[in-house]
Amino acid sequence: MTLNADLYLNLIRGGAARLAENRQTINDLNVFPIPDGDTGDNMYMTIEAGTHAAGESLSEMASAVSQGMLLGARGNSGVILSRMFAGLSKGFRNLEEADADHFVKAMRAAVEEAYQAVSRPVEGTILTVLREGVEAAASSSSLEDFFDRLTAGMESSLQRTPDLLDVLKKAGVVDSGGAGLLSITEGMRDALYGKSPVLAGSDQPSNAIVDFTSFTEDSVLEFGYCTEFLLRLQRCKVDLENFDETVIRDWLLEQGDSLVFFRDGSIVKVHVHTKDPGAILSRCREWGEFLSIKVENMTLQHHEKRMDERYKCARKALGIVSVAAGKGLSGIFSEMGTDVVIEGGQTMNPPVEKFLEAFDTVNADVVLVFPNNSNILLSARQAADLYKGSRIEVIPTKTLGEGYFALANLQADEAVDDMVHTLTEAASSVTTGLVSRAIRDSEAGAAGNYLGISGKDILCCAPNPREAALALFDKLHASSADIILIFAGADAPEEEAEALKSQIESSCPLSEIILLDGGQPVYNYILVLC
Amino acid sequence: MLKIFTDTDTDLTPAEAARFGFQLISMPYSIDAKTTYPYVDFETFDGHAFYDVLRSGVLPTTSAISKEQYINYFEPDFAAGNDILYVHFSRAMTNTFDAMDQAVAELKARYPGVRFEEIDTKGITPISYGIVCEVGDLYLQGKTLDEILAWAKEEVDHFAMYFFADDLKFFRRSGRVSGLAATMGTLIGIRPLIYMSQEGKMVSVGTVKGRPKALQALLDKVTELGSEIEKHRICIGHSDAPEIAHQLGAMIEERFGKQNIVYVYVNPTAGSHCGPNGVGVCFHAKHR
Repeated sequence: MTLNADLYLNLIRGGAARLAENRQTINDLNVFPIPDGDTGDNMYMTIEAGTHAAGESLSEMASAVSQGMLLGARGNSGVILSRMFAGLSKGFRNLEEADADHFVKAMRAAVEEAYQAVSRPVEGTILTVLREGVEAAASSSSLEDFFDRLTAGMESSLQRTPDLLDVLKKAGVVDSGGAGLLSITEGMRDALYGKSPVLAGSDQPSNAIVDFTSFTEDSVLEFGYCTEFLLRLQRCKVDLENFDETVIRDWLLEQGDSLVFFRDGSIVKVHVHTKDPGAILSRCREWGEFLSIKVENMTLQHHEKRMDERYKCARKALGIVSVAAGKGLSGIFSEMGTDVVIEGGQTMNPPVEKFLEAFDTVNADVVLVFPNNSNILLSARQAADLYKGSRIEVIPTKTLGEGYFALANLQADEAVDDMVHTLTEAASSVTTGLVSRAIRDSEAGAAGNYLGISGKDILCCAPNPREAALALFDKLHASSADIILIFAGADAPEEEAEALKSQIESSCPLSEIILLDGGQPVYNYILVLC
Repeated sequence: MLKIFTDTDTDLTPAEAARFGFQLISMPYSIDAKTTYPYVDFETFDGHAFYDVLRSGVLPTTSAISKEQYINYFEPDFAAGNDILYVHFSRAMTNTFDAMDQAVAELKARYPGVRFEEIDTKGITPISYGIVCEVGDLYLQGKTLDEILAWAKEEVDHFAMYFFADDLKFFRRSGRVSGLAATMGTLIGIRPLIYMSQEGKMVSVGTVKGRPKALQALLDKVTELGSEIEKHRICIGHSDAPEIAHQLGAMIEERFGKQNIVYVYVNPTAGSHCGPNGVGVCFHAKHR
């Protein structure tokens, strides 16, 4: 059997379908016994974004799948997954079809690309499961054989992840990203054998109802057209092997804004906002022919809010995008100067696409991004790599507290490099503590108790959130902090939060204690020591 | 006969003004297009209520009074042939004194021979309060206009004021502080430390993390720059933060022993620029 475009898409859908069945089980594979990680959801939403692809050759299809996933990637495991499929796409470049040998080679490219997605790869994670699975399938005689060996190799690798990562061993779980990858691979294998419940491919990204009345006979074209197309570079028009696609990109940059631009083989994907799509389409035919074109009037309602927000403010020098969960925290980040708050957090990792939209809305020469969660950092960075319209600087804030304090240290008149340095330093000087309810028994304590967590450690356990917060304060030597912020969560009653504040005030006379209504989910309290 | 004037931006209340013999010129502020003249439109200043309005998100504006209003204040004394001394808040912070200059020029033409002098406190709120009170003391001691002017020439620059604000948005809007960190929004818990310069302008000298450190920074400034502080009033001004103001007072007395500390509520017009929960200290210093 050889792998062609249709079969490849079927495999992807099979993988997505199997992952969909197991996503809750994978969500539950948390290091911490609190409802904090949604690896299953993140990986599912990432791969699902690749299931709407179209293409005639394997190369085109793999590229379209990869592009869908790059934009849909959520959470660290989602980003790594999207990069893995980007690697596969590279491996399939210029292939109409692939056999087992091609697949093995392409999977090696996938491993390489996935490792490059993270600056410091950690073993005992999805990366190890991928690498060891591919090693186990290195000498396969057929595609079926390849997938049998791959799943077996991944399965045994997954079981070894707790030996490589202490946090997994302590929590008594295997790595959730690795488990997600295994599910996908199993689903792909089943699809190859023709026995998969293949995911219905009709889940197109929601086609919002367009209100044509918002652009009338008398309307003036104010916002231009959101123009997207796939351009096939043509051999008769360009020297394909030596063609430098930056010629197109640079020209497009002058024609419109919010440019997103990729080249994969002979296909160029473009997203650009312009008042004259005709000029762009005509010019692009000098290099190739279109595979698909979508042009939408941005005044129409489905884009209305976003575009209004964006065009209301003129292009500015510096813009800020922060990720925060909960109404209170979103408000706090807005007051501190954030232009666009992306709703998201521990249990809700926004996709790369959300960041790209936010960058559009901000409309600034330099955009600073505060991801405020270690599981959102990679998608923010991926979005920064993809976005060409502005200089994007991701400040590696891993908690809301780090984001708050970094933002408070922002001096808008500093040079950008200095600014990034200052903010990164400020973020790293902060200690964040979290209080959350245990949803299962663990070494730290029984389900129903409240855990005090900082970084990767569970530091204390108490029967109620206030006591857990106080114990956590002691453990973190909070009294030496100048500022102690208490973000009260959605589940923290006001009286309890006030009582906590007074108790901390009396034990930390040299600190300023600030209680804020964060309204965040999951964490009863977020304690920030600055 | 010498008549002395000051304005409500110096934090002097009508009772205090009456005790020294000052006439008070009321400097207005506006909320939602309603203009209020302190101690004209109300008898006593309810600081807590005023700053609570600001806490709710209202940003008041302030405005200059007109030439006609100045004429109304000064003309009776010009007509009576009295000498006039006006001890006012900083010229560098307002354009209201342009109108006053015109008024005075007109009055001088109309009443030749009347002497009009002014002392620019090169400050506002507690620092002006400290200077105004000392001028009041001299006036009560029967010092002449020239003696008071000589004192001011020597002493005004020896009154220093350092303070911190809770929320930069008031200052940012008023644009009256130089060197202020170019932040993008509210700074929760991080406070700029601001002083009143020799030119009568507010200048930021950096930020401080947390209120305890901010109070410590004020105390350190008193220690570093203070000179004969025990011979003068120490004025601690606050915009509805009496407990914090008293905490600072206790810290100062703990370090320097019993002092003549006066606590003043920052007047609403100045408070419109600094916002609630600010605390500042004015003391006699080697220099500002």
